[in-house]
Amino acid sequence: MSNLLDVRNVSHSFRGLSVLRGVNFVAPQGQIVGLIGPNGAGKSTLFNIISGFLEPNQGQVFYQGEDISRLSVPQRSRRGLMRSFQTPQVFSHLTVRENLMAGCYKETGSGLIAGLSGMRGSRREQARMGDTADRACEIYGLTGVRDQLAGKLPGGQQRLVELARAAIGKPTLLCLDEPSSGLNTEEVNQLMAMLRRLNAEGVTILLVSHDMDLVAVAEHVHVLCFGEIIASGSFAAVKGDARVRDAYLGV
Amino acid sequence: MHPFAPLAGRGGALMDLTLLLQSILAGTTNGFVYGLIGLGISVIFRGTRIINAMQGECGLVGGVVAFLLLEKLGAPLWIAALGGALGGGLLGLVVDTLLVRPTRRRGASEESFLLLTLGVAFAISASVLFFFGRDSHILPGIGGEASAVFFDAAIRWHAIWLIILSSAVMVLIWFFYHRTHLGLSMMASSLDEEGAATIGIDVPRMRTLTFVLGGLVGGLAGVLVSPLITLHYEMGLLLTLKGFAAAILGGLANPFGAVLGGVTLGVIESVAVLSVSSGYKDVIAMTLLIVIMIVMPNGMLGRGSRKGG
Amino acid sequence: MRIKRLVFAVVLVALWIAIPAFASRSVVDMLVWTGLYTIAGLGVSFLLGQCGIVSLAQSVFFGIGAYASAYCATQFGWMAPAGFLVGMVVSALIALAVGWPVLRLSGYFLALATLALAIIGHVMFLEWDWLTGGTLGIGGIPALDLFGFALNTPQRFYFLVWPLAVFVLCLHRNLLHSRTGFAIRAMRDAPAAAQVLGVDTRVLKVKMFILSAVLGALAGSLFAHYVTFVSVDSFGVDRAINFLLLAVLGGATTIFGTILGALFITVMPNVLSRFGDIHGVLFAASLILAVIFLPEGFGGALRRAFVRSEPKP
Repeated sequence: MSNLLDVRNVSHSFRGLSVLRGVNFVAPQGQIVGLIGPNGAGKSTLFNIISGFLEPNQGQVFYQGEDISRLSVPQRSRRGLMRSFQTPQVFSHLTVRENLMAGCYKETGSGLIAGLSGMRGSRREQARMGDTADRACEIYGLTGVRDQLAGKLPGGQQRLVELARAAIGKPTLLCLDEPSSGLNTEEVNQLMAMLRRLNAEGVTILLVSHDMDLVAVAEHVHVLCFGEIIASGSFAAVKGDARVRDAYLGV
Repeated sequence: MHPFAPLAGRGGALMDLTLLLQSILAGTTNGFVYGLIGLGISVIFRGTRIINAMQGECGLVGGVVAFLLLEKLGAPLWIAALGGALGGGLLGLVVDTLLVRPTRRRGASEESFLLLTLGVAFAISASVLFFFGRDSHILPGIGGEASAVFFDAAIRWHAIWLIILSSAVMVLIWFFYHRTHLGLSMMASSLDEEGAATIGIDVPRMRTLTFVLGGLVGGLAGVLVSPLITLHYEMGLLLTLKGFAAAILGGLANPFGAVLGGVTLGVIESVAVLSVSSGYKDVIAMTLLIVIMIVMPNGMLGRGSRKGG
Repeated sequence: MRIKRLVFAVVLVALWIAIPAFASRSVVDMLVWTGLYTIAGLGVSFLLGQCGIVSLAQSVFFGIGAYASAYCATQFGWMAPAGFLVGMVVSALIALAVGWPVLRLSGYFLALATLALAIIGHVMFLEWDWLTGGTLGIGGIPALDLFGFALNTPQRFYFLVWPLAVFVLCLHRNLLHSRTGFAIRAMRDAPAAAQVLGVDTRVLKVKMFILSAVLGALAGSLFAHYVTFVSVDSFGVDRAINFLLLAVLGGATTIFGTILGALFITVMPNVLSRFGDIHGVLFAASLILAVIFLPEGFGGALRRAFVRSEPKP
């Protein structure tokens, strides 16, 4: 099995404060990979570096064997690397259906002029986007709120919208930042089911969380602590690791 | 906005040097004016997170009030100056209580506050046109028309007073924010609204006081600048923009950078027009403003996070 | 429902055709101005409401369009469409060159940067008098000629400017519901998430800025041929602020609200001028009230009234 994502020796500091120190880790194709660590371990920074919102001071990020360290967020997205955000980022003045239609951006191709003119191609494309959105609404149980403004939905449903929207974009690697925050137990279970299904469809998932229990779905877990990977392995192995326990107990 | 008549003739190297020195002095004087306007903008921004697009108009009102006190009532210069500053402060009070508060209650966006203050700037400019007329007026300066001479370059005594008084205002504001109970409360409510409220600070009142303080500084700036540039109903907008450039250059979050930023802007502006037509002075200042916002959003001092956009 | 709407539209069109026959020359003139303001203001309004970009620089593109038409017609004797084209192309190129660095800014910074651009533009128009005639301006611009029919009265120009205005409004409505339209609105609501979906937000913003500039130039060219004289006084910062205010007043999130905003900005000063010199104060006061009490503009208020009056099916 090849490595879809390969983070090599990434270091980063903010104003002299070192946040990541030579981080190395891989995400094999087709797996669910967990990245855990206590608050302030540098998870978000690493995540921003992987998804392209931050350029690392040092080190490279390889994706499908290509060095993507200098690529922009949309360029990475077109290669199939997508992410979610810690606070769900829905398009709040758009309805759920329109949110999902916006998710079809990469799968469609009409330009500005075609859009202005309202040519038949553009209209047919809109119909296709609408169909895709409707199908996704059914799959993700959003049909009931399809025509509501996404910004007015409760947090849990906003997260579902965000995830469904990303799934429409056919990601190869989906990076989820604290997907369980703000969700109740039932919603977390729903989320887990969704992740398993996406994974079964061949999507590699990188899960970032400080929540140990959530990461139990992961086949492989990396533990980040004070800017360094201190343990890697199966969930059970990592959970048993003494250093990890120390980190979590805050010794 | 040239406080000095352009100097004719460029003789030898000595003349050029004099010209340069003259430009630097003129630029420094203008710079303090921009800095004082910028100081008001930053005070209000720090206290309320609003960019006050009517800061130049506070100056206009200050200048007009001072002019009326002098000409119509025959008040002494210092009373007129005080009246002008108070006029600016009163304007701040009125604008905050009558306009900003209701808009804030509605939960308006950054842009609506900008438009609101821009609308007020319009209204003030139109009112001055209506009540005060289309003519330009000039206030007498401190020390009259007399000038001091440094190495053949002249600077008006009023300009020197302007520099001294602006510096004094800056120091006073620093003391106010760091050493007085009221100043500390105002700072606290801008840094942590909820925290300040829980320890019993009346946050809305502090915001109003911030506007009053900003208005006072603006009014004083108007009084100080009117002997150098003419008092005119359309003077506000460009003053606001250059004051804003000064505030950004110094770092918006740091009110004391504004004067430094203002002087930098003023000197660059007046030295640059030595090589191009003086008509391009505003182009240079505005280009500088744009470049600074893109390249150095935290200003030259570079501390504190960018909160502007 | 459908029939009601159809009747409404027919009445509106009939009214539109009838106005020049009944109304006085000055009223028609005002309506021509409304049309011109609608076209240029739509650029600003679309940027503000759909892209979240505050632009105070529209006066620059309005000026470029006007000067391009004026110069090409009087100096080169070119046909009017050539002037239109030159104005739009030059505006687009300048919008590209300026927008690329400036549109990185957001919020207050962006608004102030565009205001600074308006000042720079105004000074340039003044200083480059070999091209623009400075304060003396360029006169003697020929009226537009449509199939041998000279559009030299407000009544005639009215029938050119309004179809054009409605045409560009419809184009923008199309755009809003297209793929690009979704990307634009996504970018406005959550730029980071839009990027994740593959939207290159920086390129998209610049594209929209160019589109807006082209509209400004179009309106400027029309303006030059309508008044037949252009001078630097027409392209000051006050003009730019008017364009933005009409967008805010019309309600930037509704496309057809732009017409209402344009109507306000042209009709109100006229009505208020009856009160004498105080009209400037009253106008500014009405703007302040509109900003405070009509956060969604006339368009938004009207839409809300409609939604309330029509029970849901």
